[in-house]
Amino acid sequence: MEKIDVNSKIGKIIKANPDALEAIVSIDPKLEKLRNPILRKILANRTSIAMASKMVGRSVDEFFAKLKPLGFEIDAEIAPVEIEQKEIPAFVSQITKDQIIDFDVRELLTSGQDPLSLILEKVKTVQAGQALKIINTFEPIPLVKMLEKKGFEVYIDKIADDYIETYFYKPNDTIDTIKEELETTDSNGWGALITRFKDKLVKVDVREMEMPKPMHTILGELEDLPKDKALFVYHKRIPVFLLPELAEQGFEYRIQDISDGEVHLLIYKD
Amino acid sequence: MFIAGANSPIKNTDYRLVLPFYAYAALSFLVATLLMMCDVGAFTQHHFNPKTLAITHTMALGWGTMMILGASHQLFPVLIEGKLHSNFLAYLSFIFGAIGIPMLVYAFYSFDFGVIAKSGAILINLAVISYLLNLTISIVKSKKHNVHAISAFTAVIWLLVTTFVGLLLVYNFQAPIFSEASVHYLSLHAHLGIIGWFLLMIIGVGARLIPMFLISKYENKKTLWQIYWLINGGLISFILIFIYGANPLVSLIPVALIGVAVLLFGHFIYKAYQKRIRKAVDEQVKTSMLSVALISVPLVIIIGIILIFSTLGHQQFIMLYGFTIFFGWITAIILGMTFKTLPFIVWNKVYHNIAGLGKTPNPKELFKNNIFIANIISYILGFVILSFGIIKVNIIALNIGAVLLLVNAFLYNLNVFIILFHKSRLK
Repeated sequence: MEKIDVNSKIGKIIKANPDALEAIVSIDPKLEKLRNPILRKILANRTSIAMASKMVGRSVDEFFAKLKPLGFEIDAEIAPVEIEQKEIPAFVSQITKDQIIDFDVRELLTSGQDPLSLILEKVKTVQAGQALKIINTFEPIPLVKMLEKKGFEVYIDKIADDYIETYFYKPNDTIDTIKEELETTDSNGWGALITRFKDKLVKVDVREMEMPKPMHTILGELEDLPKDKALFVYHKRIPVFLLPELAEQGFEYRIQDISDGEVHLLIYKD
Repeated sequence: MFIAGANSPIKNTDYRLVLPFYAYAALSFLVATLLMMCDVGAFTQHHFNPKTLAITHTMALGWGTMMILGASHQLFPVLIEGKLHSNFLAYLSFIFGAIGIPMLVYAFYSFDFGVIAKSGAILINLAVISYLLNLTISIVKSKKHNVHAISAFTAVIWLLVTTFVGLLLVYNFQAPIFSEASVHYLSLHAHLGIIGWFLLMIIGVGARLIPMFLISKYENKKTLWQIYWLINGGLISFILIFIYGANPLVSLIPVALIGVAVLLFGHFIYKAYQKRIRKAVDEQVKTSMLSVALISVPLVIIIGIILIFSTLGHQQFIMLYGFTIFFGWITAIILGMTFKTLPFIVWNKVYHNIAGLGKTPNPKELFKNNIFIANIISYILGFVILSFGIIKVNIIALNIGAVLLLVNAFLYNLNVFIILFHKSRLK
């Protein structure tokens, strides 16, 4: 059976046993948002049991208690990878109000939308010496980790259980590649491209096909694909061997790895 | 819809299982060429000498077998449209093999068949058993059987027979189990491995992979089944002849059966090549095709020559025969196939989560093509020159060939580790 510990990702647990979703949601109403497939995708894969328990203020044992009957093997010995609550960083005391960009994502979350792309949009506008303040109902730990990697300083201010302010401060010495990176990421990203080809998608499902039919089918479809359209493929895995062939034929591609056995591809020409 | 795939039977094998095998095999290749370069004199002696045995086992087990085990943990689930039964067994198989092989090689090198040799041989058998068990359960669970999977599965059974006979031979050095000395059984042990394990496995999997890489629609299950039975028939007849003896004419039966199988396979690949969609064939597939050529043409000739000469006691041809198999055919297919599999596994590891965020590099960009070309050139030159050195018993040619092969192994390792340590970069 699947072994889990405090560092196991919620997404992985749900993948291993879809029943775990209901079990986890039943722990705390705040976890209801996991029901939303998009949020589940973006949050659950980056959130461990330890992080989730911290977000909703429940002990990890409550999670284990719910998951154990589903056949998960619990390893209670392992300590959580510490996401230490750092002392208040220096920028907090230095920053002035007009250097802070506020962004409240609570409404977006309750309406079930993914705030990530909007947050990243905001992040791009942050100048060196400024900070972005995200107001949220939980500690956005995945986002914290992501932006920390990009050189941001972070401060989380837990004002109430469901009212949390997170500051992302861009130090003066951060190289401007952050901006570039985010820009290319965004305009080249899956979401932007799906919007671009919104009514111009040709869909093909190769999930049930035996090898090597999927590859032949996709290449066949691409032969007939009108120039301004994109091919949307439902696949059971990332067709790695197709990728060099696409590059050779001058196609661009984006891939969304939804779960084990569920991959979406978007193939187009620029 | 988002979790529809959670119960899907298809699952990629975890890269953490597969990559150690690749790294281990690459390093073994380097060790084998180093051992070879240190003392090329071994090539001028009878093939049953400590250094040749050490090099052969480094090549057969550390290089060929570990590489195939690694790749097949990845490919087998694809062949059976299922998933690998157990990661634990896969790890066990790696650990047993990784510890057992150096022990056995060291024992051969120092020609000491004591505890180290025996433990090494036992560990290697445990590695094969873990793998066979894992494969068997995976197949039973998947219920999808095809000629490729059955060939691969049969090949692993032959591998177990080979390593088990090997284990008995190690014991036979000190306490007689068999009626004759171990050297007498060497050709049985070697051919169980070469034909039963390597040939059957490579043909079974190659018949699926090479057409796939050529993007060919050619299929011919009937021919593949014929090849399967010819190889197994040839091997079984070889074993029977080995045990019961036969006149020289009858002993050509296995050679004929396996020769026909190899020709049929060559024909199969040729057909697939003709019906390919991708018109330009890349270097990696070319190298793999070279390997097909390396078995189909010279091997048939060499087997014939060997049979004639070995009965006359012509040692150099036996040496050349073994060298062509391990450094020619098996090495060529691995050199080519590494770069058709490893970059994709690593690409999947690095990019599968972020491939939606932006433009990802092509999997082929994960290794350096110029290093690959230099690798192949030094390989072919080294192989030809060393073969010449073996036939002519020419120490200078042997030395030049050995150095070139060492360069080839070094370049190969360089590229493999460039891939293994690839860091993500989105454009």
